[in-house]
Amino acid sequence: MVVGAINDGGILYGLLAVGAGLATGLAGIGAGVGEQGIGAAVVGVVAEEPGFLGKGLFLMLLPETLIIFGLAVSLILMFAWTPFA
Amino acid sequence: MPVLRLPKFGKPVKYAYITGRVRAMKTKLVPNEMYPRMLSMDISEIARYLEETQYKDEIDALSKDYSGAELIEHATFANLAKTYSKLLDVSIDEPQFLILEYLRRWDIWNIKTILRGKFYGASDAEVMNYIVPAGELNLELLEGLAKKASIQEVISSFEGTDFSEALSKYDGKGLASVENALDKLYYYRMERAVGGTLSVGGGLLLKYVRREIDIRNLITLFRMNKAGIDAATIQENLIPGGKLGDELSRLAGQSFPEFLRSLEGYPFWSSISDIATPNLDAVSRVEARLRAYLVRYAWALSNYHPLSILPVLGYIVSKDTEVANIRKIVRGKEAGLPPELVEEQVVVA
Repeated sequence: MVVGAINDGGILYGLLAVGAGLATGLAGIGAGVGEQGIGAAVVGVVAEEPGFLGKGLFLMLLPETLIIFGLAVSLILMFAWTPFA
Repeated sequence: MPVLRLPKFGKPVKYAYITGRVRAMKTKLVPNEMYPRMLSMDISEIARYLEETQYKDEIDALSKDYSGAELIEHATFANLAKTYSKLLDVSIDEPQFLILEYLRRWDIWNIKTILRGKFYGASDAEVMNYIVPAGELNLELLEGLAKKASIQEVISSFEGTDFSEALSKYDGKGLASVENALDKLYYYRMERAVGGTLSVGGGLLLKYVRREIDIRNLITLFRMNKAGIDAATIQENLIPGGKLGDELSRLAGQSFPEFLRSLEGYPFWSSISDIATPNLDAVSRVEARLRAYLVRYAWALSNYHPLSILPVLGYIVSKDTEVANIRKIVRGKEAGLPPELVEEQVVVA
């Protein structure tokens, strides 16, 4: 049964799906770790200077771009690079 | 006194909120270039200017009861207490613990103010004018102390607390020894509470505080060496715990020119080298420069450790300095002192 699964690419496809999940998931965790400090600092500044909200949000969203890299890798793995595409 | 055991590795992210906030608060401080302009204003103009700044609420609230220099003095003190209470309210965990340890100096200030008031026979209302409830002792408690009839009663109400030993130094003749003992107690308690923990934040607080002790000792040395007081008396008045403790202690009792030569080469020397000459007329000029050095030192350190207690300390020191400067200018104007003389006393970091 295992040999059959390998032969028709079932395990490989499963590993690719896990990899794609990890790429987005880990990027999300990384962005979250980066954002926690920035978010706290931005809230602190906005409490004193409400006019800083726009700039603060922009700075807070910068680590979010990391997720886009992760998402791109996931999409490539799932739809562009797989031998089953 | 309860000692908070802090984890060995303080997480810098704990400081993100409070440092962001104090950096925003720093932008609202009176800019350095305003002080020379304030020197050329009269007292009512200064009050109007302060009404446009962070002191607005206090000036508005107190203008019914006070006017002129009194109004500004009360408003600045009220604002100081409000600002420090806010710092404690908006911080949690390790930053809050460290800020409170640092702000305990206002407890010492308030106790000293009450003792001085009682010593010179001031009324409790007069004493309360100079109280800044920014430490652990709250306004109610301080009011109760100010209402006591004599110094002995004030001292006895502290029995069983950390303050009792320092207050027992009161000899009935003067307050110098008891005030010195209170200052020593403040630094000793901080060392015990913060130094007992192994946190990174506590270490940084102590690093700054050690430099602060050095500067305070240096000012004492300047004053006492200039007055030609003997080494043993000076050493008694030095606060232990500074980074340069022993080195500075050896300078006690030196002749003034010799003392100045010994200071060359220390990091603070460049801040005072142009005015610290053997024929220095007023030590307060050196004091103002050294205080400015301390403010710069706090901010310089905080650039190395941006997510730590140091930006908060920098803000507290800058705020203290701002209030002291405004009060100096206003009191100087009220006493009719020439602006050049007041300007020398203003701390510009």
